[in-house]
Amino acid sequence: MISPQLSHINPNPSFPFSNSTFPQSLPTKTLKPHFKPKPTPIVSVLQYNRKPQLSGETPRVVVITSGKGGVGKTTSTANIGLSLARLGFSVVAIDADVGLRNLDLLLGLENRVNYTAFEVINGDCRLDQALVRDKRWSNFELLCISKPRSKLPMGFGGKALIWLVDALKTRSEGCPDFIIIDCPAGIDAGFITAITPANEAVLVVTPDITSLRDADRVTGLLECDGIKDIKMIVNRVRTDLIRGEDMMSVLDVQEMLGLALLGVIPEDSEVIRSTNRGYPLVLNRPPTLAGLAFEQAAWRLVEQDSMKAVMVEEEPKKRGFFSFFGG
Amino acid sequence: MASISIALSLLQQQQPISIQTVIPSKHRLSSSLRVFSAKFERNSSYCYVKWNPQKIGKRFLLSVCCCSSENPENGRFGSNGVEGLGKFVSSLQGTIGTLTPVLNGIKGQVGKNYAVGLCIAIAFLLITIRAYTSRKSGYNRQGSVADLVKRGQLRSDRRGISKPLKYDDPFNNPLVKISENNSSVEMCGKVYRLAPVTLTEREQSNHQKRRSRAYQWKRPTMFIKEGDSIPPDVDPDTVRWIPANHPFATTVSDIDEGLAQNNVYQKHGVPFRIKAEHEALQRKLEALQNDQKLDKLGVDPSNARDFERPYKSFSKSNEHLEQRPSLNQNSNSTSPKSDRHPNTPNDNSSSEELQKP
Repeated sequence: MISPQLSHINPNPSFPFSNSTFPQSLPTKTLKPHFKPKPTPIVSVLQYNRKPQLSGETPRVVVITSGKGGVGKTTSTANIGLSLARLGFSVVAIDADVGLRNLDLLLGLENRVNYTAFEVINGDCRLDQALVRDKRWSNFELLCISKPRSKLPMGFGGKALIWLVDALKTRSEGCPDFIIIDCPAGIDAGFITAITPANEAVLVVTPDITSLRDADRVTGLLECDGIKDIKMIVNRVRTDLIRGEDMMSVLDVQEMLGLALLGVIPEDSEVIRSTNRGYPLVLNRPPTLAGLAFEQAAWRLVEQDSMKAVMVEEEPKKRGFFSFFGG
Repeated sequence: MASISIALSLLQQQQPISIQTVIPSKHRLSSSLRVFSAKFERNSSYCYVKWNPQKIGKRFLLSVCCCSSENPENGRFGSNGVEGLGKFVSSLQGTIGTLTPVLNGIKGQVGKNYAVGLCIAIAFLLITIRAYTSRKSGYNRQGSVADLVKRGQLRSDRRGISKPLKYDDPFNNPLVKISENNSSVEMCGKVYRLAPVTLTEREQSNHQKRRSRAYQWKRPTMFIKEGDSIPPDVDPDTVRWIPANHPFATTVSDIDEGLAQNNVYQKHGVPFRIKAEHEALQRKLEALQNDQKLDKLGVDPSNARDFERPYKSFSKSNEHLEQRPSLNQNSNSTSPKSDRHPNTPNDNSSSEELQKP
């Protein structure tokens, strides 16, 4: 198969990674197709028919970030959060996008958000009153940081999230297994607030150079902040474009960022539909391709596993002899 | 096509019937068979003819026999019935004899007839298949499972599985199948080729080193108003200035840090601000009640009207209306009374006395 690969031989000076803010050490390479070497054996990708084993100390505080906007952070948060709830783990999703929160819309809970963390800090309500429990999966709860038109006092912005996590640890219902924080785009005050309590991070990237540049920068900031467990989700992958060498493959993205893969989400028109319906993809029946990929990513997140093999291209399905007769 | 012409003519005087049939030369019959004529006499037993096609055919055949074998010149039957019966038997024998050259003629045309027969058989077979398919398509209703499979909305390879698909169960997902050699995965009916991840630990650590060199960053912990100077003994890298027109962040907070932390940690009871507002309202209400008692003490027009002169009550009520908005400002003569501790014995007794009829 011919796939776009990175060539070390012929660096292209016109490659747009020439900004001083972008690391000069990031290899400036051009895309050049070449034949893959002989593949090494692939271990099993995923095992169904069993419950994933939770690894690590609870609560696992995971921030989902990207740097660039519009790559699918909120969609990933909603789908991974609900997947974890479906797998039987208690999840609290925190929408830390202070100015532009949308997680409640994706989950279809926008009419039930009366109080936010802002009101909790101010003493207008208790924390348990601000948590919105999802009726579809009762072990999933949503907490919004603030209302769209209110301003978060930054004097204790990051500390407030740490207090919230501590309060969730000691609540009477028990400590949640996962606290997933939906980070806003950019590296502004919202980003700083969101990453403060996190122990691990999931970086959502799309296979384009703008997203990769921002992702590399954000990864650097996260590592400077002490978050070492960083995995990435490559979103909106189109195998047809990869085959036509119009899009970087997942392996190319991984080669440029050097991060472990948590999941690969194919481009799916169902994402827009589910977003508009307020019904996350993973709850669709029959499941969609992107929904299955999110489910697998959630599975790996539980087990702190990473992908050992990636989907490269679609190949024609082998049909049996009796397929001619409709079998 | 064969053409048959039948000529009927009346014989003799009254109703002589003459039937003449011309059989086309499809099978090349003998000339004696091509033209038949039948004549019936008026008084004979055969003269009465109904227009029944079957009966006419039979009689017609008999007359043919008579004409062709024994009486070629005139096929007229006698008037005697016995004689007619004898002739009938003899004509039957003659008919059998006559058919022999016909059969021989048919046997001679076997090659051509075989082709015709084959065509007929094929046509019959096609008609049968057509009828069968049309009958089968009649059962294929729209919306049926077979129709869904035909339209591609349902996969045929999932038919006949014993257990239904459980989409609610994430541990039993039949839509993800990994091939035996792990080289491909089938998801939602599409097969994807798998390629191994080539990132090694060494490459990963190299990237981390590169980033640590490229990005030197400390998470800001102090947010100050834009324009303010950095406080002493604070690392400047950890300071972030927030402009006054920042869309969602502000440095202004009306509660202190300890109180905010307590609010977050509070698990039971009334929240702080609600409690504070409630207490404030309670105090205000008590104050208002005290004011009302004082008002009742000083001015109660309904009660005062009973035992006071009209002009006094009128003047006092006017005075009360003027002073009421400024009660909280402690600017009039009644306000010092309201500032005093409520529920004093004198006040109660006086108000009770006033409320008594």
